[in-house]
Amino acid sequence: MRGKQKQVWGLLTPTLILLIFLGVVPIIYILYLSVYKYNVFSKVGMVYTGFNNFRKLVFDPDFLKSLRLGLTYVILCVAIELPLGLAFANLLTYEYKGKGIFRTIMTLPLAMAPISIGAIWVLMTNPDFGPLAVYLRNIGIDFNIGNNANQAFIATILMDIWHWTPFVTLTFMAGLSSLPKQPFEAALVDGASKSQTLRYITLPLLRPVLFTTLFIRIMDTFRVFDEVWMLTSGGPGTATRYVSIHVVREVLQSMNYGYSSAMSLFLLYLTIVVCWLLITFINVSQESG
Amino acid sequence: MKKALVLFVSLLVLTLFTTAFAETMVSNPDWWKKAGEPYKGVTIKGISESTPPSKAAMEVAAPQFEELTGIKVVFEVTSWDEMYNKAIQDMQTGSGIYDFVYVEQDIVYSYLPQNWLTNLTPFMNNPAITDPGFDLADFTSFIDNFKDGEGNIYGIPFEAFLKSYVYRTDLFGEPEIQAAYKAKYNKDLAVPTNWEDYTNIAKFFTEYGKEKGIELYGHIAQAKTHPCVAYEICETIWPAMGIYNWGINLENMRATKANGGLVDSDEAKAAFKWYVDMLQWAPPGVKTYTWDETAATFGAGKVAQGIIYLENLGWWSDPAQSEVAGKISVALPPVTEKALADAKSGAGYIGYYDGGALGIPHSSKNKEAAWLFAQWVARKEWQGEFAKLGTRVVRNSTFEDPIVIELDPQMGNYFTFLKEQGPLFRGAPALPMHRPLNDLYLKWVSKAVAGEISPDEALDNLAKETDELMEELGY
Repeated sequence: MRGKQKQVWGLLTPTLILLIFLGVVPIIYILYLSVYKYNVFSKVGMVYTGFNNFRKLVFDPDFLKSLRLGLTYVILCVAIELPLGLAFANLLTYEYKGKGIFRTIMTLPLAMAPISIGAIWVLMTNPDFGPLAVYLRNIGIDFNIGNNANQAFIATILMDIWHWTPFVTLTFMAGLSSLPKQPFEAALVDGASKSQTLRYITLPLLRPVLFTTLFIRIMDTFRVFDEVWMLTSGGPGTATRYVSIHVVREVLQSMNYGYSSAMSLFLLYLTIVVCWLLITFINVSQESG
Repeated sequence: MKKALVLFVSLLVLTLFTTAFAETMVSNPDWWKKAGEPYKGVTIKGISESTPPSKAAMEVAAPQFEELTGIKVVFEVTSWDEMYNKAIQDMQTGSGIYDFVYVEQDIVYSYLPQNWLTNLTPFMNNPAITDPGFDLADFTSFIDNFKDGEGNIYGIPFEAFLKSYVYRTDLFGEPEIQAAYKAKYNKDLAVPTNWEDYTNIAKFFTEYGKEKGIELYGHIAQAKTHPCVAYEICETIWPAMGIYNWGINLENMRATKANGGLVDSDEAKAAFKWYVDMLQWAPPGVKTYTWDETAATFGAGKVAQGIIYLENLGWWSDPAQSEVAGKISVALPPVTEKALADAKSGAGYIGYYDGGALGIPHSSKNKEAAWLFAQWVARKEWQGEFAKLGTRVVRNSTFEDPIVIELDPQMGNYFTFLKEQGPLFRGAPALPMHRPLNDLYLKWVSKAVAGEISPDEALDNLAKETDELMEELGY
């Protein structure tokens, strides 16, 4: 037994070392930086400032706006992707001509790197020649994400939906295919309609998958960066300057390591709180179910 | 046996060809072979922005250098943002990933106080690794940007070019257009020398395009929420209107009028308001344009005039790549009288002298090999060809190169313009906090361009926050 334990630890140790080095050490370093005023180009070097960076965060209108924008983005993306993904997954449970082609085309965006998605959408939304802009202009809508903050915001949401709904669909498809058949057969025998089956049998049985997918998508959309950076760079102005873009600007452009460390820690804390709330909700609903 | 013979002969021919090719581009191949001998087999890695000169260095200069010296060159070309992020992080952490980096003229003032770059002057005094034909005196005054207060050199100029006025000679010379302009403004259509004429010409061509149902605009800008829009204000619009050094008083490093700066001055506000207002005469997508899209749109023949980086003249002059080959010329940007007088006296400047050098990070493990490569790219005998590939000149002798003399008329007499008018332009001011400052300028400029706030409000806030930033950074 002891020998087996040694073997297990021996196998786990390299991974644990890597995780500690790549995960824990950077967090400790950020904790250290967060209590300093530290800009790489400062003449005075690192100056200890205690919790002033965190205090500044609370009153920083740019950070608060980016947080508000980011949370709005998360809510809208997830609220659309989940039902849409479920609808597609449901559609793919039926047999019909062209199902394979539909599934392939639908899944294609998922195979692309986020930066490529951003590049595609830059072309699609180009006000001069992009298909979206041209077709919308033909029906009287002046689509220009460089000029219109709302359109830029909506474009980033549509981009995320286009990119990640296939993921949600595949997750729900896996969930649907693993559901027991007996409740559905019983419902059929009892004369339940499709909507009644969906509401009283499919959704409750899918709850674990639903919450897991919700969890993953919230985490992913909250830290969105590549696609939005490529498409709008956070603009026009600050219209799509979500919290991850705001942090990157502080770190890589302003080189303000101290303040951006405080920002990152705050976001980590926020993420942990959201995760805890979600997990609690999942556990409670599983217990009551 | 026959196959092996054919292969051997092919390899021999290829070797002779490449050797011959390399030898035609270098006057003293034996020196290079000898100088590279101690470093044979070493790999040097560098990073630069994905521009024509960098691509030329990567695709042409690097393989030739490798062939001759045996020093392998891995030349990474990437986006402007990524280049800075990677270079700065490498030098700041001392990780030694890069042996040479592109040092733009504006960022060198941030690198020098941090001691991130290697002093190249001692290298120049070492004959074993310095090309006898290096000729430091032959570099244009652009090299002065890469010197410290004691005259030590920290970068070898790689590219230098102007951002100035460029216009469509075919459109300006079209009789129907000339007549229409004269009828509307009671003035001959000519290269504008002041901002009022520029504005009228911009409005005229955009309206002309609409009337004729063609995609033609009278103005272009780089107005995306990207550092480029801040640069356009500070480096192009403000200097031509008499506001220099980003509106910052370089003696006390302050931006507000109250502290001797000009950012929130009436002149700066008027200039910025003009800039925002002019965007209505540019293509609809102008607020999604960085410098790349601006150049591409001009090259596609959609714009009659603009103030654009002239490194693009090379590909604009190629009919295979652009719609404006043979139809463009360059001129001074419109300026105020004060700005022109200041520029001629040396008290100011009228626009941006852009460019950069190859510098060697302090953390490089192959400094001598990197020094050899920097010299290779800057060697005299290649400068004519390099000017053709990248539309850049860093040596005085290059202006007399037959390739450049032949190219000049095809590029709207740009090289003559660069030689004669270059002294009226200047690079960015010596601001060690260039990066955080640019980000701050970007924040407020882009808010006004997007219409979130007025230009006046943007500059009032920018001036105030610039002073706060300077204080925080210890200036």
